Amino acid sequence: MTMNLITGIIAVAIGGIYLVTAMLLPEMRMGDRLGPKLFPTLVGILAILSGLVLVIQERKPERRSKKADFGFVTHRQVWIKILLTTVVGIAYGLVMDSLGFLIPTTLFMLFISTLINRGRLVQNLVLAVAFSMITYGVFAVALKLSLPRGFIEQMLPF
Amino acid sequence: MQDIFSNLALGLQTAMTWTNILWVVIGGSLGTIIGMLPGLGPATGVAVLIPITFGMNPATALITMCAVYYGAMFGGSRASIMINVPGDASAIVSCFDGYQMTKQGRAGPALAISAIASFIGGMIGMVFLVFLTQPIAAAALKFGPAEMFSLLLFALVATITLSEGNLLKGLIAIAFGLMLSTIGIDGMTGIIRFTYGVESLNDGIDFLVIIIGVYAVTEVYKNFKDTNAVYKLDSKSIGKVWISREDWRRSWKPMLRNSPLGFIIGVLPGMGGSIATFMSYALEKNLSKRPEEFGKGAIEGLAAPEASNNACSCGAMVPLLTLGIPGSGTTAVMLGALMMLGVKPGPTLFTDHPEIAWGVIASMLIGNIILIIINLPLAIPLVQILRVPTRIMLPIIMGLALIGTFFLNYSSFDFIIVMIAGIIGYMFSKLEIPLPPLVLALILGGAFEQNLRNSMVLSDGNISIFFQKPISVVFLVLAAGTLVYALLRRKKHAA
Repeated sequence: MTMNLITGIIAVAIGGIYLVTAMLLPEMRMGDRLGPKLFPTLVGILAILSGLVLVIQERKPERRSKKADFGFVTHRQVWIKILLTTVVGIAYGLVMDSLGFLIPTTLFMLFISTLINRGRLVQNLVLAVAFSMITYGVFAVALKLSLPRGFIEQMLPF
Repeated sequence: MQDIFSNLALGLQTAMTWTNILWVVIGGSLGTIIGMLPGLGPATGVAVLIPITFGMNPATALITMCAVYYGAMFGGSRASIMINVPGDASAIVSCFDGYQMTKQGRAGPALAISAIASFIGGMIGMVFLVFLTQPIAAAALKFGPAEMFSLLLFALVATITLSEGNLLKGLIAIAFGLMLSTIGIDGMTGIIRFTYGVESLNDGIDFLVIIIGVYAVTEVYKNFKDTNAVYKLDSKSIGKVWISREDWRRSWKPMLRNSPLGFIIGVLPGMGGSIATFMSYALEKNLSKRPEEFGKGAIEGLAAPEASNNACSCGAMVPLLTLGIPGSGTTAVMLGALMMLGVKPGPTLFTDHPEIAWGVIASMLIGNIILIIINLPLAIPLVQILRVPTRIMLPIIMGLALIGTFFLNYSSFDFIIVMIAGIIGYMFSKLEIPLPPLVLALILGGAFEQNLRNSMVLSDGNISIFFQKPISVVFLVLAAGTLVYALLRRKKHAA
């Protein structure tokens, strides 16, 4: 499938879901002529129409766009790294409240640097520890922003 | 006229505190460093450095972000000149002659002219900025909802029509951005829209989270393919970072010519530094008596786009400061950060907080001077940053992006959004769907809808209100004009 064909299909699909949701919104005007429905309805139609035209244009061979290549096969490694980063990144955010700033940040940095800078454990350890300590120093100590405090932070004088 | 000078004096008074000067130095240096890194431009720079502006007063915050912005502009070309890898899209042109000069052993003059041209472009852009902002802001104060709606419509249309790429894909990106902007509680009726039962979405999606996702996380992902790049840098052969009399003779006119050009392009929404630099390069090549030397180390081929690029970044500040409408990715990020701090750029900024508006403008003057000091004598130590391998820099950018996300709302839900935005941004780049229209539509979407609804309340549901106000008509005509222009240009392209 070509890039424009996929884009068109995505636009029609998302626009469709959005439009249906917009239609189901309650009619409520309270002195507001248009209400909360009209604008989203127009946006949904815009997405669907643009997507449809894009798909129709792809039928003409001379205007066809390049074949889409997400690299799912050729760059499988990249996708594995992206998915891992996504999962670990979300987990990082979830544990920050309970574990504080320093431990999750160090662990996250160790993870991401190991992923990118593979096989250099010492370098990555230094990077992870230095990064979390420097950012803590800059944000919590120097700029006085409040950061989640875990048991390590509670032992610190600042 | 006198007004302008007293305003500028007020601005200088705000900008000239030790704290602000210190932040200009810090912001400018960090911006230069981030700008130098391959693939990372001013938008990413400002996005990952947003947290350092929290806790600052708004004037200092805006001054710091501006310093990062033009620092990145100064820095962007360093990598082009030294290693033939542009720091960002607007530094691509600097590779053409800049890297050729380095290959000929003239890296010193190349680094010098790029800093000097950036300085001159920035200064000329600043002068235009000083004289233009006041009248535009004063005119914009009279805008009602109908005028605002038409202006926003023009800004959105111009973003897709003036930039390169497929028009329909731009429209789709705008539609997606507008969709995201409608998520959450509707301000006028209190109805919850498009949250699909997810309570954390009730307050809407913080567009800064999306911006960090698509400008920082996505950029890191794009670099995943090649994390082992190590660049060879021969700093001994740079020589003296200065230019000869002959170099100056060849480049002063191109610099003066292209600064106004860059500024005008910067003011227009959707036309950023990359278009400014390409246009300036083409213009100089056409005007030159020795066009065959372009691409082989002609110093004017480097001076012209550099001047144009920095003037362009001054131009981009005009719609941001006076209308509250960002014309580029970077100014969009700055707008978002300012709204976090409770400042709403726009015409009222000049009446309610003249010290902020003029402080920022004055700080650009100081920033330019500081950056030329950083970039001339310290050029050689600064380019050493290029020796730091990508595999060390990428984790740092990623870490800063996530910490920045956390500081926005202290919400772990935002991590889910930022990571998803990162993947979607990456998919979009693979499908060649432009991201700036999406970001712009997301930021402006709320105001766009609100002004539409307010106009309808005013006119009692009569759509002709948009054609009765002269200013509104002007913007609608402009929007239609750019659309026709884009369609004609593409037709010519296809033929």
